[in-house]
Amino acid sequence: MNPLDGLNDAVDELIDSFLTHNVIGPAEVTQVSPGLTQYVFWMFVAIVLLLVVVFTFRKKQAASLVPHGFFVNAVESLIEFARDDLCKSILPDTWKKHFPFIFAIFFFILANNIVGIIPGCHPGTGTIGVTAALACYSFVYFIVVGCRSKGVWGYVKSLAPKGVVFPLNVLVWVIEVFSTFLRLITLAVRLFCNMFAGHVVMGTFAILASLFFDPLMQALSNGAALTAGAVGDAGASVLWVLVLIIIYLVEILVAVIQAYVFALLTAVYIQTAESEE
Amino acid sequence: MGALGVIGYGLGVIGASIGIGLAAYGATTSMARQPEVQARLFTVFILGSAFVEALALIGFVVALIVK
Repeated sequence: MNPLDGLNDAVDELIDSFLTHNVIGPAEVTQVSPGLTQYVFWMFVAIVLLLVVVFTFRKKQAASLVPHGFFVNAVESLIEFARDDLCKSILPDTWKKHFPFIFAIFFFILANNIVGIIPGCHPGTGTIGVTAALACYSFVYFIVVGCRSKGVWGYVKSLAPKGVVFPLNVLVWVIEVFSTFLRLITLAVRLFCNMFAGHVVMGTFAILASLFFDPLMQALSNGAALTAGAVGDAGASVLWVLVLIIIYLVEILVAVIQAYVFALLTAVYIQTAESEE
Repeated sequence: MGALGVIGYGLGVIGASIGIGLAAYGATTSMARQPEVQARLFTVFILGSAFVEALALIGFVVALIVK
């Protein structure tokens, strides 16, 4: 029997488990259902973890002026990284005003992605609902910042670059407005797809490993003589586990980089909305 | 239609992979020439590949939606 025969059904089951299901409330997810889906549940777990880290940090940091110990220093260096890399290097002097917003977005996504990496957990950002909400948040923020610094009419005009002759600049303006709204979609879809696709790939390799190990287990439990095919499949299973571990490491990298990219793009959009030219 | 969607996604990924490859090429050569701007270049590289990657991801979603 070919172990790949069961792959299609198992992958269908896997993708089904990644769709939103209510863990509390009615079984069917509808637009008005009051339930709690598994993604939102893990999002709350991530928020609680983040709050625990933040308050422990506050308490330990207030204990002495000079940071002591691994925990305080680690969190401080993380905050310094976010401040220098995400805010200071991109935004002009106004970075202090936008620092809390960018910082909150970065750490919220980071906490969600890290929780999602733990086997058995789901990332809160693995559903389009959460990422679309985050993208809306950042979209509204940079438009409000642009309107505040230039005035509403000034911001609308500043979408098109200056120095283009009359009939063309209308066309450029329309394209720029379109690309501004496209930012909303790309921000949401980028984060969602990276988390969703990454976890589906990891699950597929885990399924492959278990499917290839099955013949050996069956032969052992039946007490039958070991065939060369069963042993060979078990060897292939070890290979799949190795691939799975490598993909798992890549996923940890992706989790951090996607949080970084989301916060970085938010900072860049704020910078373009504020800049004069 | 499902198989066509997969082929279309593969075609879309060709462009994105060329784009990210070019970005990585540019980043590595300029880092080799001027190692002191490495941190700034890395940020720009991540930013550029994020823009390129978005197109491939839109292709992924379209391939999933169109059945």
